[in-house]
Amino acid sequence: MTDLAAELIGVSKRFGPVLANDGIDLAVARGEVHAVVGENGAGKSTLMSILYGLHRPDAGEIRRDGQRITLRSPADAIRHGLGMVHQRFRLFPDLTVAENIVIGAEPVRRGHLDRAAAHRAVAALSEKYGLRADPSALVRGLPVGVRQRVEILRALYRDAEILILDEPTAVLTPGETDRLFEVLRTVAATGVSILLVTHKLSEVMAVGDRVTVLRQGRVTGRFTTRETNANELVNAMIGRSLTPPAPKRAQPPQENPVLEVRDLTIHDADGVARLSEVSLSVHPGEIVGLAGVAGSGQRELIDSVTGLRGAVPGVFLAGTPVLSGRDPRVAYVPEDRHGRATAPGMSVAENILMGAQRELGSRWSLPRAAVKKRAKDLVERFSISAASVDIPISALSGGNAQKAVLARELTRPSHVVVAEEPTQGVDVGVRERVHALLLAARDEGAAILLQSSELSELRELADRILVLYEGRVVAEFQGDAHETDIGRAMTGATE
Amino acid sequence: MTAPALARRVVASAPVVAVVGALALTTLVMLVVGVDPTLAYPALVRGAIFDGNLEYTIAAFVPTLGMALAFALPLRAGEFNLGGDGQLAIGGVTAAALALLVPLPPVVAVVLPLVAGALAGGLVAAIAAPFSTRLRIPAIVSTLLISAPAVSLASYLVRFPLAEPNTGIAQTPTLPDASHLPFMGGSGYVTIGLPLIVVLTGLWLHIDGRTVTGYEIRATGQNREFARYGGVKVDRVAALALAGGGAFAGLAGALIVLGPPYRFVDGALTAPGYTFTAVAAVLLASARPLAIPVAVALLTVLQVGGLGMEREAGVPSQLTQIVQGLIIVIVAVLATVRARRGVRG
Ligand SMILES: Nc1ncnc2c1ncn2[C@@H]1O[C@H](COP(=O)(O)OP(=O)(O)OP(=O)(O)O)[C@@H](O)[C@H]1O
Ligand SMILES: [Mg+2]
Repeated sequence: MTDLAAELIGVSKRFGPVLANDGIDLAVARGEVHAVVGENGAGKSTLMSILYGLHRPDAGEIRRDGQRITLRSPADAIRHGLGMVHQRFRLFPDLTVAENIVIGAEPVRRGHLDRAAAHRAVAALSEKYGLRADPSALVRGLPVGVRQRVEILRALYRDAEILILDEPTAVLTPGETDRLFEVLRTVAATGVSILLVTHKLSEVMAVGDRVTVLRQGRVTGRFTTRETNANELVNAMIGRSLTPPAPKRAQPPQENPVLEVRDLTIHDADGVARLSEVSLSVHPGEIVGLAGVAGSGQRELIDSVTGLRGAVPGVFLAGTPVLSGRDPRVAYVPEDRHGRATAPGMSVAENILMGAQRELGSRWSLPRAAVKKRAKDLVERFSISAASVDIPISALSGGNAQKAVLARELTRPSHVVVAEEPTQGVDVGVRERVHALLLAARDEGAAILLQSSELSELRELADRILVLYEGRVVAEFQGDAHETDIGRAMTGATE
Repeated sequence: MTAPALARRVVASAPVVAVVGALALTTLVMLVVGVDPTLAYPALVRGAIFDGNLEYTIAAFVPTLGMALAFALPLRAGEFNLGGDGQLAIGGVTAAALALLVPLPPVVAVVLPLVAGALAGGLVAAIAAPFSTRLRIPAIVSTLLISAPAVSLASYLVRFPLAEPNTGIAQTPTLPDASHLPFMGGSGYVTIGLPLIVVLTGLWLHIDGRTVTGYEIRATGQNREFARYGGVKVDRVAALALAGGGAFAGLAGALIVLGPPYRFVDGALTAPGYTFTAVAAVLLASARPLAIPVAVALLTVLQVGGLGMEREAGVPSQLTQIVQGLIIVIVAVLATVRARRGVRG
């Protein structure tokens, strides 16, 4: 191979009983977009963390431009021209875009931050890579896609020659994803190498030059995207092909709706309407999809339906008003895994317990054995790979943590299932299983409200799709409607 | 985990590093100010454990453990209770008032003031709850703000309505005999307060680890949004945890007052700095429940031994305060360093 920017040779890393990386070789050429794919827990994040100095490998070496290097910390990695865009952004919300970008390496004049120079530098970078971002805007008010761009600019400002992105699109809308990929192509064209971890094979095929497939800590395939296809990649990842999605049912059963929202209007603290006269109903045995660009009222609607917004007038579950707090009749898979769906410091067992604690125990007792047994059963049923149910859930790979959340919620006795981005961060095999689970729940009579930023997911699962735009339901489609039509409605275009 | 790996983990753990580091720095301070550590440390140990001093140490251990629980319990729910002094003083004065003013039959004369002291302490702490849940003023601020007036109120009550007449000393009269806590064994200092606080600590450990209440308190402390999402009434849980902590402080106050010298002497509850020592102990134990009694014991030995060191080696007992301060600083620094390093994507 010609011009290598970085090489990982025979890298191994063990966490207790888990061999997360097992003699991995990975070579990244200058200016290429190199995708890294694999099942949940395959060791992708671990490998990226090693390359960014967050973990030290037990064995193996790292080379930069042919030279062996040792990385003791991210600071070392940055010095060697490595940059990483974290999934949970590490920006200071109350600083401006420019300040966030130059922080740690500020241009200084007479002992103070030279704002003008910082702005000029940021403007020049934006120009060079075609990454638009207003240097003087406060980060607090920026959409996720722009914040991510700021993270990328921050790495480039520190002269990163290798940019690591671990599941960067999990938090993006389809439009933002497209823009990110344009940016990545531009950046790569200037000679920067990009390492992209993702579960979405369409993305790999769209931007990747080459692909490395990991499985159980080892490399199980190396491909050039132009010479491969998604099927081949899936096979290398999970050792089988995916079954094509089940054909749609002809006629969803028509009974009384279990979930009914009537003329729901919600104002925020400033009196701005976040939801206006939203009405919808979900029947038993039906999946209703919720589409819309981020911030169109999904948060307010779902928080009203689950009871988390308090007793909201106009929301009914099985004919009675929704209960304030968390209505126990709703199973709810939240999209914010760290903020809402889990307590990262608590064990897997205790995370899986949440919501069922009063069934398993009482005010004065909560048998540990029962808690663990329940967790072990679910870990097995949902094939969650966890060394034990006593380790903190933050030690699970992203996808396995998501599976734990799904296991907890989908086994909850409930009338209604509300799922936000249920397959975020899970691998293709698990995604298939999650879809099967949702469909099975539907067939057993559950009423499901499904919010997803992936239109393909909505089209695959939903019987009907509602489009939210600026707090209103602006369109309703059959589940098999054309993606372009749905996409048009999402931008508020009326015919 | 292999044995050497385990050993390495223990040696490098925050509490060990903090204690060893603090002792090393203290030794350095001793050397700088010209005190001979080979005289000072034996004097410290003698002052805490030998020469019949163990009794004092155990007597001081009881309220310190109570105050440690007063800080640790709300901390499990993510609330910082820094108002221990106020809860302690109000608990003490309530117990004293009840014992002095209401004629009570034996046994009840001990039990009722203890219960009332705990309730009063819990009430003082609970006042802070709505500040935190409604007004979003953190408990760390509101408990501290409420503490000063609470201490003053206790002080006022002791100086005027409850004061011992015609002495001019700011203290209550001696409590009636029926309200004196019985001693343990043949000791003249250690009362049944010791088994009581030990049993209550055990009860707390049980609640924390093995009940739904404890689980919901911990979930609230670990991630309030997660707990709320899970259907936990987080505001109520936080208030309950604060009140529970305050009850331990109030009980500690009542135990002090019902023990020798059987009266509320103004300032005697807050002057020894139980609250501060307790906070240091809980931080040293990294809020791990089982480690808390051990850390309290260690710091109490330092505290009481410090007085012996002052008597024998002429080292100001403030030095032990410095040790505690250093322990807190080192624990805090280690925690911050770990938080920075340990982040995962
Ligand atoms: N800090 C840690 N402590 C213990 N185990 C860990 C730790 N980090 C990772 N692991 C384990 O190592 C394995 C690989 O995890 P890693 O996060 O690298 O997977 P991944 O390929 O990124 O998966 P995903 O697609 O789900 O994000 C998993 O079994 C995980 O549980
Ligand atoms: Mg990962």
